[in-house]
Amino acid sequence: MEELIKNLKLQVIDALNLEGMTPDDIDNDAPLFGDGGLGLDSIDVLELIVLLERNYGIKLSNPAQGKAVFASIATMAAYIAENRKK
Amino acid sequence: MRIARWCRITPSSVVVDGKAVSVEGTGSLLLKDLYRKFIGDYPKFFKMDTLCRLGVAGAALLDSPGEPREDRAVLIFSASGPLCNDTHYQKTISEEDYFPSPSLFVYTLANIVTGEISIRNHWKGDTSAFVIPGFDAGEIVASTLSCLADPVTRSAICGWAECSGDDSFDLLMVLAARDEGGLPFDAETLDYLYGRTYQEP
Repeated sequence: MEELIKNLKLQVIDALNLEGMTPDDIDNDAPLFGDGGLGLDSIDVLELIVLLERNYGIKLSNPAQGKAVFASIATMAAYIAENRKK
Repeated sequence: MRIARWCRITPSSVVVDGKAVSVEGTGSLLLKDLYRKFIGDYPKFFKMDTLCRLGVAGAALLDSPGEPREDRAVLIFSASGPLCNDTHYQKTISEEDYFPSPSLFVYTLANIVTGEISIRNHWKGDTSAFVIPGFDAGEIVASTLSCLADPVTRSAICGWAECSGDDSFDLLMVLAARDEGGLPFDAETLDYLYGRTYQEP
């Protein structure tokens, strides 16, 4: 799981162009959206959906899942570990 | 109508009001350096395509964000529009690797650059983006004066912002205002400034 989280952080930084940010700057449990976290926006969540499909073969077809899956890096990693196809 | 301030950005030089600005790097690195020196608190900059980075950096050289205002227009002219970003987006929709990028898609419209400049600076006046065959000072002046003819608009950020690659761009941007001193806002002056990529001795 530790390796997955590290890779996921690198992929998120790259996909969202989080300039100057390193994996160590992202707290596993910090909220990805809203105050106190990365402050991502609605376009970013679409990019994260593409990231899941491209890198892990996961199609997030139910929008209602999104809020829980993208709550934090930790929740994303847990979802990936459980549902990844590649 | 006068030019209150003006700037010129090429991949290797930056000039503001006739004076060279010290920058590190060339091309995309130069734009990042302008961000660090003149913007610094707007991470959304790095999500933008090169045309928008160019426009936002140019506007930052001419004015700073303040209270929201409705009397400031933004008019940008270019030949290629967002073509550079379009080519990046096209790669994400190829048959071999079909993962359309939402963040690239949102920059595939020519007028996004005017929106990004306005949002960053809280300018709520008119915005217009024009795709024309090449730099045309007469067209820039005529369209801007037409915009400034309304009773609300008192100034305009306008000019040429061309981007043909992430490291290949060309900007002449001016702050044209009704009631400020400076150079005359006419085609002859814009043509002259367009040739100014360095500080005169």
